[in-house]
Amino acid sequence: MKNIGPLFSREIRSLIYSPLAYACGTLFMLLQGVVFSILLTAMNDPRFSATASVSQVFFGGTLFYWMTVLILIPLLTMRTFSEEKRTGSIEFLLTAPVTEAEVVISKFLGAWAFYSFLWLVSISLFALLQLRVGLDWGGILCGYIGTCLLGGALIAIGIFASNLTRNQVIAALFSFVMILILFSISFFDVFVGDVATSKFLQQLSLIEHLTNFARGFIDTRPVVFYCSLTFIFLFLTERMLTEPRWRS
Amino acid sequence: MQLTYTTRMSIAISVENLTKRYHQFTALNGISFQVPSGQIMGFLGPNGAGKTTTLRILTGMLDATSGKVTIDGISVAAKPLEARKRIGYLPENVALYPELRVIEYLNYRAAIKGVSKTERKARIQSTLERCQLADVQRKLIGQLSKGYRQRVALADCLLGNPSVLILDEPTVGLDPNQIRQTRDLIKELGKTTTILLSTHILPEVEMLCDEVTIIHQGRIIATDSPADLRSRLKNKSTLSIEISGDADLIQSTLAQLPGITGIKAQSQEEGFTTFVVETSGADVRQAIFQTSVHNQWVLRELASAKRASLEDVFVSLTTHEALTPPEQPLSTGAIA
Repeated sequence: MKNIGPLFSREIRSLIYSPLAYACGTLFMLLQGVVFSILLTAMNDPRFSATASVSQVFFGGTLFYWMTVLILIPLLTMRTFSEEKRTGSIEFLLTAPVTEAEVVISKFLGAWAFYSFLWLVSISLFALLQLRVGLDWGGILCGYIGTCLLGGALIAIGIFASNLTRNQVIAALFSFVMILILFSISFFDVFVGDVATSKFLQQLSLIEHLTNFARGFIDTRPVVFYCSLTFIFLFLTERMLTEPRWRS
Repeated sequence: MQLTYTTRMSIAISVENLTKRYHQFTALNGISFQVPSGQIMGFLGPNGAGKTTTLRILTGMLDATSGKVTIDGISVAAKPLEARKRIGYLPENVALYPELRVIEYLNYRAAIKGVSKTERKARIQSTLERCQLADVQRKLIGQLSKGYRQRVALADCLLGNPSVLILDEPTVGLDPNQIRQTRDLIKELGKTTTILLSTHILPEVEMLCDEVTIIHQGRIIATDSPADLRSRLKNKSTLSIEISGDADLIQSTLAQLPGITGIKAQSQEEGFTTFVVETSGADVRQAIFQTSVHNQWVLRELASAKRASLEDVFVSLTTHEALTPPEQPLSTGAIA
């Protein structure tokens, strides 16, 4: 695993030297701004109860939060493997003395670090609020933890999708569809007659998970769920990469 | 000569019975060859012969359907990392990260090739100088010309101090000066490193290689030194003559001369006919002259035999108009 350092650093460099990172950053800031203005409007409403915390609105409480996650992650991950395969630089990468696992983990860490960095910027919004009102920082911290864990799982899916094709657009579409299915699968609980299945589907609700995180409540079930998803998709990507017909 | 290699020197690259199939298509059909340490081996073949497939298997990019490939005695399939550490591989398609600077890229490559931090700077500087890249080290790779990018990739190959260099058509797409520089560099490197050089440019092989392996349609059809390959065609040579007179009569008369194995009329101009005469190797020029005088034909040109080039060997081996009878087995090398 000693090669993860240089591989990770290469990922980050290539990301921040590319216009894609700035496009993603801009989109992100824009959506965060919208969420923030919704939050301000809500707080000015006399009916905004003291019990509904700021973090619950911010993390998973608006459509825009989910738009951010659902759109940003396919954009961030689409180039990871498909670009290397399209240009052929994958041949240089995989004939160097590095393991496939090192390659996959560094690409994951690169995208995840950038994603987490973007979220970190939104702390400034909370800092602004802190000047006027007291905030529940515990809930905010847990909201960030939940967002990063969820992001990790979705990035793993995006990297898996990127490894399937040489075409970045198809990679982005494919990961968007997979993430959308994961996001909306819990909505189908009402169509399922069987109580057990319905309950199971409810457990998969990402919105529910995030609301819990934002309340300052770290439930081990979603933590395990997201970590398992991350592991499974990274593992599948690594397996495919060792299979020569998926290598180029 | 090859036998002495096997007894005296170790084998750097060994390919045994290598077969690669894609569904119905057989890209490599049980090929075997070996490259002794310190040798420059030319790997020659027409497009689609299986050169790149072989090199990709050697570098672990592809897996073989069957057969065994070793680098310095290390199996590529069983110990891929160990084998890859010993190889510097220049793929046919040089795809570097265009957004990085040359120095950044080489730093990154040196790190993943296990060059220790203390050595890295010195190693990169010496490699930059060796590949004449010192001037462009701060430039973005995306802004470099094809020739420079090729050299960056070659520098990358050298970073890990590999014992084996595998170069897939290293001079394709370069201008004549760059080709010369690249060849000089390869020649220089060949003094200390084993090189497997895939190409379809024949002068390159004659210039650089100690041995040549010719591959055609997934099979190895010859392994020999360039000089020995040429000498196979040596006892065949051709003459070009221009004579005035009745073309049919000239042809039939000359064909009867001893030593002439074939004669063909090519073109006619101002009453002169150009013939291409194939000989068995005997000098027939005097005989042709005397015959012409005797028959009162005017002989205005008698161009001497051209030396059989590697190109002729290549063409004769890879097309069906075989100059050497196909039954006569070509030496595939005592070591194969």
